Amino acid sequence: MDNDSIRPSAFLSANNPLDDGRCFHCGLPANGASTCSGDVAGEQHLFCCSGCLNVCQVIHEAGLDAFYQRLHKQEAEMAPPPDSPCDIDQYDLPDVQQEFVHTLADGSKQAHLMVEGIHCAACVWLIERALGKMPGIIRAEVNLAHHRLLLHWQPGTIPLSKIMQRLAALGYAAIPFNLDTAEGKMRAQNRRLLFRMGFAGFGAMNIMWISIALYAGSFSGISIEDRHFFHWVSLAIATPVLFYSGGPILLSALRGLRLGSLGMDLPIAIGALATYTYSLWQTIQGGEHIYFDTVVSFLFVILVGRYLEALARRNASSATLRLLELQPRMATRLTESGEERVAVRKLVAGDRLHIRPGDKVPADGTVLEGISHIDESMLTGESKPVHKQSGCRVAGGTVNVEASLVMQVEVTGEGSVLSRIIHLVESAQGSKARVQRLADRIVPWFVGTTLLLSAITFLFWVQSDFDTALLAATAVLIITCPCALGLATPMAIAVSTGVGARYGVLVRNGEALENLSRITHVVLDKTGTLTEGRMFVSDIHTLGDKDRLLQLAGAVERHFSHPLATAICSSLEAKALPFMPCSKPQSLAGMGVGGVVDDCEIWIGNRRLMNKRGIELDVAMTEACERIESEMGVAVLLASDGELLGLLCIEDQLRQGAEELVAELSKCGIGISLLTGDSAAAAKHLHQRLSEHASAPIQVIADVLPEDKLGYIAKLQEKGECVLMAGDGINDGPALAQADIGIAMGQGTDVSMECSDIVLMGSDVSKIPWTISLGQRTLQTIRQNLGLSLAYNIILVPAAMAAWVTPVFAALAMPLSSLLVIGNAILIRRHMHRR
Amino acid sequence: MSVIYGLIPGMIILGLVGVLVFFWAVKNGQYDDMEGPAHRILDDDDMDNSKDKDHPPS
Repeated sequence: MDNDSIRPSAFLSANNPLDDGRCFHCGLPANGASTCSGDVAGEQHLFCCSGCLNVCQVIHEAGLDAFYQRLHKQEAEMAPPPDSPCDIDQYDLPDVQQEFVHTLADGSKQAHLMVEGIHCAACVWLIERALGKMPGIIRAEVNLAHHRLLLHWQPGTIPLSKIMQRLAALGYAAIPFNLDTAEGKMRAQNRRLLFRMGFAGFGAMNIMWISIALYAGSFSGISIEDRHFFHWVSLAIATPVLFYSGGPILLSALRGLRLGSLGMDLPIAIGALATYTYSLWQTIQGGEHIYFDTVVSFLFVILVGRYLEALARRNASSATLRLLELQPRMATRLTESGEERVAVRKLVAGDRLHIRPGDKVPADGTVLEGISHIDESMLTGESKPVHKQSGCRVAGGTVNVEASLVMQVEVTGEGSVLSRIIHLVESAQGSKARVQRLADRIVPWFVGTTLLLSAITFLFWVQSDFDTALLAATAVLIITCPCALGLATPMAIAVSTGVGARYGVLVRNGEALENLSRITHVVLDKTGTLTEGRMFVSDIHTLGDKDRLLQLAGAVERHFSHPLATAICSSLEAKALPFMPCSKPQSLAGMGVGGVVDDCEIWIGNRRLMNKRGIELDVAMTEACERIESEMGVAVLLASDGELLGLLCIEDQLRQGAEELVAELSKCGIGISLLTGDSAAAAKHLHQRLSEHASAPIQVIADVLPEDKLGYIAKLQEKGECVLMAGDGINDGPALAQADIGIAMGQGTDVSMECSDIVLMGSDVSKIPWTISLGQRTLQTIRQNLGLSLAYNIILVPAAMAAWVTPVFAALAMPLSSLLVIGNAILIRRHMHRR
Repeated sequence: MSVIYGLIPGMIILGLVGVLVFFWAVKNGQYDDMEGPAHRILDDDDMDNSKDKDHPPS
C-alpha cells in the first residue's frame, strides 16, 4: 500500500461524529431503539441502525471510504438504506429474466434497474465504482435524474442476483424493469418533439438575422435585388420549419376540421399558413413585406411550450409500472416431494404455497394452515395488519408479517385483486371525462368568427382591388392570431403552479386548477388522510409508574416489527427513555409477545393472551379496554409475573387541521363524504368528532374496497356533483383517477400521487381550502385574460377589416396583447401571498 | 454587398451542421440525464488509488 495516499481511516476520523450522536453512515440522529455501534477501520462509530452499520462495513471493505468525503462535500441528506427486496435469487431464473433482460449478440446481457436510495452524486460514484470492480460487469451506468441503473454483464462470469446482492449490501434496493414497456412510446414521442423544437429553434435564430437586415434596410435603404435575395432566403428557411416542425400542428388542425371540431391547433395552423402564403405571394410578386420570421418564431415558441408540457407529463405514466412491481414474481410451491421455487406466472389454481414471514403473498387464495397477521395496507389502506387463519382469504401482493402460512391458490394473473386495481387505474385514467378548459370552449367560437370576418373582409374589398383585399384579410388573421388567447390559460396556470409549490401544494395537472372552483363535493379517505395513518401510544392506564410500564413494554417489543411494537418503541424514544435488556423474547401469533425483563416474566398482548395465561382483568380494566376499542384504538395489556400491571392505548391519531378542514369546507357549502376500508364501528367515532364541526351531515361509507370507492365517486358524478377526492393509499388510486380532482398526501404511496392531480407536501390537509381558493383565483385570472385578448381583438379587428392596419402594425400589436396577459397572470402571485 | 451571396448560404450550412449535431446528441442519449455527468467528471479515481491496486478493475 502506498504511504503517500490518504488512508481510509483518515477520512473516517476526520469527521467522526460519535460526539454529536449522529449516525456515522446516514447522519440522522442515532438515539433510537435500534442504535448500535460498530467497528469500522479500527475505530468505533455510532449507527442509527444495523442496516447503516452493515452498509458502512461493506463500503469500507470495498475500499470506497472516499464515499463519505464526497458525501460531505455534497452536503446531501442521506437516509438509512431501504429494505432490500427479498428473494433476489429469483431474478436468475430464465422465466423471470425474460421480462426485462436483453441478450446481446456476444452472449452478454443488458438490463435496466430502478434503484431506490440514490440521493446525490456520491451515490452514483459509489454504485459505479463498486459494481465496476466486480468481475464480469462490462458496464454499470447510473442515471441520476431518473434513479436508474443500466447494467451490462457477462452472465457466464456473474449471475444477476450476485450484482443485486452487492447493491443491497451497499444499501440500495434495485428492481429490474422493462424500459420499453415502461415508457418506450412516450420516449420516442418526446424525442421527436425535441427534434422538431430544435429545428424550429435553428430556423428562428437564422431568420431573425435576415429580418434585422431587412428592417435596417427599410430604414436606411436597401437595393431591390438584395431585398429579394433576403426574401428568398427567408422562404428557404421558413418552408422546412413550417412543414417539418409545424407538421403535427397542421395535421391535427386538418383532422379537427374533418371531424368538425375547431381546436386550438386550427387557428395556429391557419395563422401560420395564411402568413406564410401571403409572404410567399409577396416574395414571388417581388413585394415589399414578408412575415416569414413571424411564422417561424411563432412555431418555435409554441413547440417550446409543448415540450415543457410533455416533460411534466412524462412521469405520470409510471403509475401502473410501480403497481406491476408490487406483484411478487416467485412463489414456494408445496409438492409431494417437498418445496420448490417457481415463477408466479406458472402457478395454477389449486396449487399449495408456503408463505414465510416477511414474504409477499404470491396470488389470491385461501389459507389452509397457520395463523398470522397480514399487512393489507396496499389494498385497504389500513395500517393495522389483519388476523388470518385457516379459511381466510388472502390477496396477492399483501405482506405476511408474522408466522408461516400455507395457502391454496384460487385466482392467478388477470383475475387477482392487484391486477384488478391495475386495470381500474388504467381505465379510470383513460375514461376520466377530460376537464374542458375554458379556453377550449371559447376557441371554436373565436376561430369561427375570425374566419368569417376574414372572409367578409376579403369579399368586401375584392370588389374594388384584389391586392388590398388579400392584405386586409391577412391583417385580420394576423391580428386575431391566437397568441394572447393561447397564453391566457397556460400563463395563469404556470404562475399558480409556482405559487402552489411555494406553499407545499404541488399541482401535477394544471387543468385541474381551473376546475377547483366548481367543486361541490369532497370525498375524504380516512386512514392516512384524515388520520396520521400510523399507530401511536395515546394513553397509558396503570396504577404504578407510567414510564416504567412503557419501558417494560418497550424492552420486549423492540425485538419485534409489528406496527404496535413500533408504536411502543417510538413513544419510548420520544420520551428519551432508555431500553432495558430483555431475554427470551417470543411471539404468540394473534395474541401478543412475551419475554423476561429484570428477572420478571412479562406478557404483552390482547385479552385473549391474558385469558390464556390465567391473568385476571378487573372490571375497570375491562371497561377501559372496551371503551378504547369502541374508539377505533387498540388496547394492549401488560402483565408481569402473572399480575396485570396496566394497559397502553394505541390508536391512529386524527391529523392536525382535519377538524378545521371540515369546518371550512362546510362553511363554503361543499358536501363531505368519508370513505374507509375499516369497519363502520371504527369510523363512527371519527364521524362523531368531525360532525361537531360541520353544518351539514357528513356521509360515512365504511367497509369499501378500491372498486367501491371508484363506484361511489362515479355515482356522485352521475348526480352532477363535481367531486374532489383526497387519499393516500394504493387502494385510493382508482378513485383518485376517477374523481374530477384527486389530491394525494405527500407521505402517501407513490401510486396515489401518480394518480392524483395535486399533491399536498407535508400532508397538511388544512391546505385543501387554500388550494380551492388558488383554483378560484386562477379561473378568475384566466377569465380576465381571455377578456383582455378579446377586447384587444374587438378594437383592432374592425380597423383591420377597414384596411387601415398594415400587416407590419399588426405584427407589432400582437406581442403587446401577449405582454398584457402575462402581466395579469403574475398578479396571482401577489394576491395569493396576501392570503 | 455581393459578399452576402456567399456568406448567407454559408451561415445556413453552419446552422444545419449545428442542428445535425443536436439530433445526434439527442439520439445518443446526451439529454437523458442532465445531472449525473456534471458530477461524474469531478469524481475521478484520485482519492483512493491505493485500494485500486489491491483490486484491479476487470
